[in-house]
Amino acid sequence: MKRFWSWAAFGFGFCYFFLPMVGMVEFSLRMRRGTYSLDAYRSVLGDPQFQATFGYSAVMALLTIVFGVFVVVPTVYWVRLKLPRLRPLIEFITLLPLVIPPIVIVFGYIRLFNTSSLLPMTGSAFGTDVLLMLGYSVLSLPYMYRAVDTGLAAIDISTLTEAAQSLGASWPVILLRVILPNVLVAVLSGAFLTFAIVIGEYVFAALLNRPAFGPFMVWAGGNKAYEPAALAVMTFALTWGCMALIQLVPRLFKHQRAHR
Amino acid sequence: MAFLDLSNLQKSFGGNHVVKSFDLGIGQGEFVSLLGPSGCGKTTVLRMVAGFETPSAGAIVIDGQDITTQRPNQRNIGMVFQAYALFPNLTVAQNVGFGLRIQGVAAAEARARVAEMLALIGLPDLGARYPYQLSGGQQQRVALARALAPRPRVLLLDEPLSALDAKIRVSLRAEIREIQQKLGITTIFVTHDQEEALSMSDRVVVMNDGRAEQIGTPFQIYSQPSSRFVANFVGTLNTLTATILDPSAGEVGMAGQALRLSAPIQGAKGSQIALALRPEALHLQGHKGAVLGQITTLPAEVTAVEFMGAVIRLRLQSGGQALALDTFNRFDHAPPMVGDHVAIEFNPRDLIVLAA
Ligand SMILES: Nc1ncnc2c1ncn2[C@@H]1O[C@H](COP(=O)(O)OP(=O)(O)O)[C@@H](O)[C@H]1O
Ligand SMILES: [Mg+2]
Repeated sequence: MKRFWSWAAFGFGFCYFFLPMVGMVEFSLRMRRGTYSLDAYRSVLGDPQFQATFGYSAVMALLTIVFGVFVVVPTVYWVRLKLPRLRPLIEFITLLPLVIPPIVIVFGYIRLFNTSSLLPMTGSAFGTDVLLMLGYSVLSLPYMYRAVDTGLAAIDISTLTEAAQSLGASWPVILLRVILPNVLVAVLSGAFLTFAIVIGEYVFAALLNRPAFGPFMVWAGGNKAYEPAALAVMTFALTWGCMALIQLVPRLFKHQRAHR
Repeated sequence: MAFLDLSNLQKSFGGNHVVKSFDLGIGQGEFVSLLGPSGCGKTTVLRMVAGFETPSAGAIVIDGQDITTQRPNQRNIGMVFQAYALFPNLTVAQNVGFGLRIQGVAAAEARARVAEMLALIGLPDLGARYPYQLSGGQQQRVALARALAPRPRVLLLDEPLSALDAKIRVSLRAEIREIQQKLGITTIFVTHDQEEALSMSDRVVVMNDGRAEQIGTPFQIYSQPSSRFVANFVGTLNTLTATILDPSAGEVGMAGQALRLSAPIQGAKGSQIALALRPEALHLQGHKGAVLGQITTLPAEVTAVEFMGAVIRLRLQSGGQALALDTFNRFDHAPPMVGDHVAIEFNPRDLIVLAA
């Protein structure tokens, strides 16, 4: 009896989650009257605006990842090594972007960095791009921080650091040759999450008025019939692809098995 | 002047005085062990030599050069850790070559040195493996090769055998000592295992509560312990109480007998004195060739028999004192049984006088 109810609950959840998706996929295939076709996908992929905005967001995502790695890895490393008492505080700070709505953050940015401020970053397209990238880094911080922190917890960083030091390594060498390679898997999983977040992000890009993929999806949703469904399916596929990579990557690194 | 000189070395963590005025001079090529119970400051001394901790006071001098404030990556001191600490993302060969790469040694020369090191530790064919593919003993040998490859001035080992199985521990002990002698490298070895310290070292430093309690050869440490702490920590010990009869003649009274020690003693006639006797200095009466020279005999009752292979340890009760006696296991003599009354003998010259 207990069994029955757990299966019933599972079945309900499954339907609740997947039926809309099935409907969406089905709808995205119906652009050509009377038969299933991939016309909607062809139309989306051929749209120059799609190509431009997707390319823009992809580049922003990569920059965000690079920036995040170079800020988060050394910070987490240093805090774990030298300032372990500060860890709760750092953890709290990295959680803030989940608590504060993006709209509040971006209004704060616009107030602080508008054209009549001391640091008028919104005055130029490049400055706004930098601001947007920094904003994305903040949004992805909770995920990046946690991924890297977990990665560093799996290795004995203080002993490895001391071993490297006794062999003559300086701090940059330790970070690049000892720490980073050993948290690469964790960094990559943080990176895929970041990519998924940045690709779909709407609020920052819209309010800073940059030609990103999120605003394009919203615009398409209001102006086209079948393409938004195709876009949504593709975005889902992309996000799930990132998740699958997170699962897959550790298997490609043989030496990591020692820790699992 | 010693090759490695630690003078008045001190370290406090907050108000906790962990190392209190530690002095030690180590000759070039010498193998010195720091031996002491857990928490007595051995690791802290070693970490100060390596540069991972800054001394609160005192100086560290290598080959005439004061390195007290030098950073660890500039000291050229090799270190082996209890937890191996191999870089998990690098192969064995890359691990061993890590220090050479940092020194900027040319690739061909580095490859040759790595091969030489792997041969030295007896793992010439494992260069392409990753650390997780090795046993603990193999990993620790690789860690040793990695520390030795850049030709450090001093080698430090912090309980390198503690994580290993008993058998490997004993064989690796001999191997480390052999490599150390082959290379003639000045070495400090930290351990809480007296057998390790005594079997490997040129000299042993017995540490207690942040101080060097006694420094000497393994023979001196074992046979002439300078304090009750050293005597107790290094080996099993019977402690006996006696009354001083004649200090200048070294004569004491115990169990109604007068015993003559090997040297005069300090203390007033009629006062109590603490004496110690190793279990192997006590013998069962009737075992041939047991005791030479002057003999003291005591009656005793067997309270326990511990069979340890070649040796049998008897726990005895004699005149209100608990004693341990080691005797060789002999085919022609069944060991006594619990409850047996036996006579035990010793030569009073084997008695060790303990400072209070
Ligand atoms: N970084 C540190 N901070 C505070 N106390 C420490 C630190 N390192 C060691 N201690 C203390 O110093 C004492 C000696 O430690 P240690 O040198 O590791 O002893 P041993 O190696 O002989 O077991 C211990 O009581 C330990 O708690
Ligand atoms: Mg220790």
